[in-house]
Amino acid sequence: MEKIKSPEESRKLLDKITYDLTRSIVKRDELTNFWYFILIMFAAVGLWGWGIQIRDGLGVTGMRDYVSWGMYIANFVFFVAISLIGFLISSALHLLKIQWSKPISRVAEQVAIAGVALAGIIIINDMGRPDRFLNVFLHGRFASPIIWDVTVVTTYLTISVLLFYIPLIPDLALLRDKGTDDIPKWKMKIYTILALGWKGNAEQYKLVYHAMRILMLLIIPVGLSIHTVTSWLFAATLRSGWDTTIFGPYFVAGAFVAGSAAVVIVMYAYRNRYGLKEYFGELQFDYMGKLLVFVSLVYLYFNINEFLVPGYKMKTAEGIHLANLFTGRYALMFWSTQLLGLIFPILLMLMKFFRRPLPLTIISGFVLVASWFKRYIIVIPTLEHPFLPVQNVPEHFKHYSPTSIEIMITLFSFMAALLIITVLAKMFPVITIWEYAEEKGIPREIISEPKK
Amino acid sequence: MTKKIYLLFVLVLVLAVQGMAQEWIVPDEYKSVENPLPYNLTNVQKGKDLYMKNCKSCHGDVGKHNGLPLVPPPPDVTSDIMQANTPGELFYRITHGRGGMPQFETTISEDDRWRLVNFIRNYNPDVEPVLVEAPPKKAKLLASVNEADKKVEIFAEVENTDKQFVELPEATVKISAKKAFGNLPIGEVLTNKDGRAEFVVPETLIGDENGLVNIVVELEDNFITDQVVLDAAKVGQPKPLPKLIRKEILWSTNENVQSWLLLSYLGAVGAAWLSIAYVVFQIFKIWKAGKK
Ligand code: HEC
Repeated sequence: MEKIKSPEESRKLLDKITYDLTRSIVKRDELTNFWYFILIMFAAVGLWGWGIQIRDGLGVTGMRDYVSWGMYIANFVFFVAISLIGFLISSALHLLKIQWSKPISRVAEQVAIAGVALAGIIIINDMGRPDRFLNVFLHGRFASPIIWDVTVVTTYLTISVLLFYIPLIPDLALLRDKGTDDIPKWKMKIYTILALGWKGNAEQYKLVYHAMRILMLLIIPVGLSIHTVTSWLFAATLRSGWDTTIFGPYFVAGAFVAGSAAVVIVMYAYRNRYGLKEYFGELQFDYMGKLLVFVSLVYLYFNINEFLVPGYKMKTAEGIHLANLFTGRYALMFWSTQLLGLIFPILLMLMKFFRRPLPLTIISGFVLVASWFKRYIIVIPTLEHPFLPVQNVPEHFKHYSPTSIEIMITLFSFMAALLIITVLAKMFPVITIWEYAEEKGIPREIISEPKK
Repeated sequence: MTKKIYLLFVLVLVLAVQGMAQEWIVPDEYKSVENPLPYNLTNVQKGKDLYMKNCKSCHGDVGKHNGLPLVPPPPDVTSDIMQANTPGELFYRITHGRGGMPQFETTISEDDRWRLVNFIRNYNPDVEPVLVEAPPKKAKLLASVNEADKKVEIFAEVENTDKQFVELPEATVKISAKKAFGNLPIGEVLTNKDGRAEFVVPETLIGDENGLVNIVVELEDNFITDQVVLDAAKVGQPKPLPKLIRKEILWSTNENVQSWLLLSYLGAVGAAWLSIAYVVFQIFKIWKAGKK
């Protein structure tokens, strides 16, 4: 923390910070409208596809008797994965008192909320009869690992929303009190309601810190478990490729890779679009690059374990599965994800040059796309090789390829996730103003003093 | 032209060789082997029963030429192909089989194989038939179950020449139990001179989980009757039902859930939501603190 500044200096600085950080809320130009239009249009196309699927049933997908988990489940795992970054940055790093990550917390939380919300929706996408959704709760079975998944997704979503909201309260009050006239009236109204009559007294600050601390502690086991139990859906079966004990940490490590990449991309977008070069500075990108290298190395380590150990044994079914990945039908996808999504990024990001904003964002793009395909590789090839021979079925039962409806619905999920992030960025400051201001040595009294 | 004739010649030759290959030659020493069993009603009747059990599925009903469409086809018992065989040849063929015709050396005793020969010979034009099948008569069959004594009580009547129904003596009544895949024969009885018979259900018969059996009672083939089905007769042993779902296994039902899973699940979820509730309460307190 910098040393306390004089009141005049503080007011001037606070005004500047507030001005910078409300730019996303105020700014509404052609580009914004166009962006909304694109998102809503693609999301609508996806919803239309979903309508067809609900009308005609899951037969419109490429899923059949053998491959009964397709693109949807791969997509689900992907979204759960990127949501995990919320807990890593806004809780784990926060609790470790790491300074550089503080401005990123809210970005990470946005990604987390969007990811986990979509994860829940995708599961409903995958249901042939979404009208029976409630049965999951009414007739859930405790002996099935899926029940963990259903509860932990909802729990994590709740905690993420709270962790987004509680540090937002002082900011909302600040906007309520100091917001310029550029901010639309209806937004001001929402701020007033959500600010809960914040006065900025010592007791309220204490309560905020207390609640945040509890949430940060709570989100660690919940965050770890959300992706661990997702991996159990696979690991609790005997299928080749899934029947392994390292799936929990393997998934968690992979999640950090995907989530960090997503956060870098969102950060870069805010930095350029909302002129936040000082806030999401070279320093943040450099550290995010280092973090990405670190989690990628951990993930690489798990990958080596995951593929080399069975690669030694080559048990009959496992051998077929591995041959399929290494040299068979999925070889291109497998090696692309491993090389473009893991090995090359690690090598590049070890150099300082590639941890600068633009190069890092490009690398993150590759990492993110590769991590989506990585989930595809985890889900589908295993299902194509059950232990019992696949026989007397039509040819298209034997191999899975997604139909256009599936691709449409998956596209919908991407657009919906981006829409959630956009709306959050347009509604609330993308960086916690009061925390940032305190960091800069602005006294609390000044932060919470009403506008003259 | 000569080429064509030559080709034709080759073709004929090939076909002839093929035809010869198809011939089923019985070694001479077997051809003249005599049937050691006398040709009489008992042996022919037994041969018929054996035929019904072992051969009918392929060779079809006697005289109806409705055998299975195999290549080469299983000939009808009355056919010339079949009847061209000497008893020794028949015995040899039944014993050793060929292609679609299975060998019965290991499954049917030597005596029984000779009885089958007797049965086939019954339809030989040079042999006086001993088994003459009369046209089937109309009959009535009544049956009831005596659950206390585990007995099936039967009464049979037959239509006489005056179109009157009178008691049917000396008729075979077959009793079987209805199972999921067809009827399980459990025994036969002969009716007495009053047309009545009693069949004691064997102790070992297994019914459903309550010991209930559906019993089917039929008259022998020469009568036109409907079979009598006695539903849910409590005459069998209760079927032992193995418990299919064992306790505490993966993906089991809620009754069989692993206690450690239940505890860790409810514990973890409870703890998480209690903490969440506590945090929500803090939000409420923030709101209250603002009112001061
Ligand atoms: C699985 C079907 C099948 C069963 C059961 C079967 N047969 Fe045959 N049988 C055949 C076929 C097919 C042939 C013709 C074989 C050939 O010519 O190569 C044949 C041929 C014969 C022949 C020789 C006919 C001839 O060419 O002179 C006799 C005799 C015969 N069966 C008797 C019996 C008897 C008796 C039984 C019961 C114990 C019996 N078969 C059961 C299929 C069967």
